[in-house]
Amino acid sequence: MTPRRRALIEFILDNLVWLMLIVVLIVFSLTVPRFFQFGIFANIFEQSTFVGVMAIGLAIVIISGNLDLSVESTAALSAMVTGLLFATQGIGMGITLGADWLLIPVSLAIALLVGTAIGLINGFLVIRVGMSAFIVTLASFIWVRGLVVAISGGRSAQSLPPAIRVIGIETVLGIPLLAWISVGCFVVFSVLMARTPFGRYVILVGGNPNATFRAGINNDRILWAGFAIAGCLAGLAGWLLAIRTSGATANLGTGMLFNAFAAVVIGGVSLKGGIGRLPGVYAGVLLLYSIHTAINLMGLPAHFTQMILGGLVLAAVLLDTLKLRLRERLL
Amino acid sequence: MTDAQPLLKLDGIARNFGAIEALRGIDMHVDRGEVLALLGDNGAGKSTLVKIIAGGLRPSAGRMLFDGAPRDFATPAEAKAAGIETVYQDLSLCTNADVVANFFMGREITRRVLGIPILQERAMEAVVAQAMAEAGTTIPSLRTNVENLSGGQRQAIELNRFVHWGGKLVLLDEPFAALGVEQTRRGLAMIRQVAARGIGVIVITHIMAQAFAVADRIVVIRQGRVAGDVKSNQTTPEAVIEMITGGTLSGAGPDRDRDTHDPASETEEARQ
Repeated sequence: MTPRRRALIEFILDNLVWLMLIVVLIVFSLTVPRFFQFGIFANIFEQSTFVGVMAIGLAIVIISGNLDLSVESTAALSAMVTGLLFATQGIGMGITLGADWLLIPVSLAIALLVGTAIGLINGFLVIRVGMSAFIVTLASFIWVRGLVVAISGGRSAQSLPPAIRVIGIETVLGIPLLAWISVGCFVVFSVLMARTPFGRYVILVGGNPNATFRAGINNDRILWAGFAIAGCLAGLAGWLLAIRTSGATANLGTGMLFNAFAAVVIGGVSLKGGIGRLPGVYAGVLLLYSIHTAINLMGLPAHFTQMILGGLVLAAVLLDTLKLRLRERLL
Repeated sequence: MTDAQPLLKLDGIARNFGAIEALRGIDMHVDRGEVLALLGDNGAGKSTLVKIIAGGLRPSAGRMLFDGAPRDFATPAEAKAAGIETVYQDLSLCTNADVVANFFMGREITRRVLGIPILQERAMEAVVAQAMAEAGTTIPSLRTNVENLSGGQRQAIELNRFVHWGGKLVLLDEPFAALGVEQTRRGLAMIRQVAARGIGVIVITHIMAQAFAVADRIVVIRQGRVAGDVKSNQTTPEAVIEMITGGTLSGAGPDRDRDTHDPASETEEARQ
């Protein structure tokens, strides 16, 4: 086999999920009525923002060889804190700062801090105490959601001030600002993962922590950073979600964890750690929401969505095994 | 070797574990560019000795001179910084990453763009390609993940990485335990190449044929002592087996071919 052909096959195998996305979009455009319009695509972009931002952090933790089941609850906590502090109705306290322009940076900073704090608690229990990441973050998934219910008393906060809501309303070049934010996050973190020593170390630590330890890389620092990033991005997702829904309810975001996991797996991240790229994860998120949208447009009952998505996750894992075998055979 | 001082010199190295004397005073040396095979039965003290040299254990008594200076390594990291390392076949490679990533692990070439360190993949690949070419190792693509490479190729990456980053003395613990015949042959050739570049090599092995195929000198440890220290071309497998099992010590010293002696074996003889 010539090196060029080999490189081409490698490239296709590495980017299979993008190919799938394109195929799915073409098929939907041809078969689903009213699918092929700019508004629909913009909508898919916008809808995928929240899970997309969350999936970045989840993917980084998984690539580093850990797991974070708590991202959904963390996002809900950030959303609730944002709503509680700044919303003007319901349980919202309607805090006003001196100037309106301060609202966005201050509320964002608080949301990111809340998320990062949860991430660091997870990190402490996994890395310092040495507990299993599965158990620690499963517990966080439960207690953080409990905290959301506790601080809200089960009630909701509504009506964020317009100065914050701009983020959820504004469009740039016809595409919602929210979508641009998720694209921006994917670009920044893809560069971080693919082009910096930090990203390289995340992959290496996920692959063989013994080797990186022997090479003098501080494994714990990488793992800490992974949990912190996952928490921080979950916080960002929660902040965006609060803005989009102009407030927060105690059950906000339930089901996001499954979508984020599905996107990460479909995007080619191995749950064993050490394997995966963020652009693939973004394609996974877009694929997921294209299917959501198509099901909505076809007027199928929503419960079919879950069956189809479940099947899709299985197919993705199967595809991964298939890819591995293809690679062995061809290369 | 023109350098009269040995690369590594052990002087009465002893180590106790409670009442058990694992090592009872080891005197030996390794020269630059020399391959030394360390043999001994199970429990003879080989592993303890190797750990002491590589910084994993501290001796209870004795002195270690490395590169002309007395050393006392508290951790493997200190030994590594000085240029001593144990090379394992798999433990030190990330098989999910490519050859370049493994070669540079922790020492990546970066350039700051807006204050952010950015990996310089081309520059790194060029360095690896050159290092591999100098060592005579051929790997189909430096961008393939290590999981797709054979055991021998993995070992080559590890050894070349070690040499490239300024290693001076390498310890190979049963390096060919998992390799096939052809891979072993290539591995032995690779060890000779590494030694030819002035690096000291200690090979710990059970297999007599390999010891004779690759080593300049054979040191036998028995019951925590040096039971024999001979040039491999001046002894026979039978004699070495006797040293290992504790039979008579005939042939255990450099008592043949006296004309071919070099200064190193001269001092060896003086000590015995």
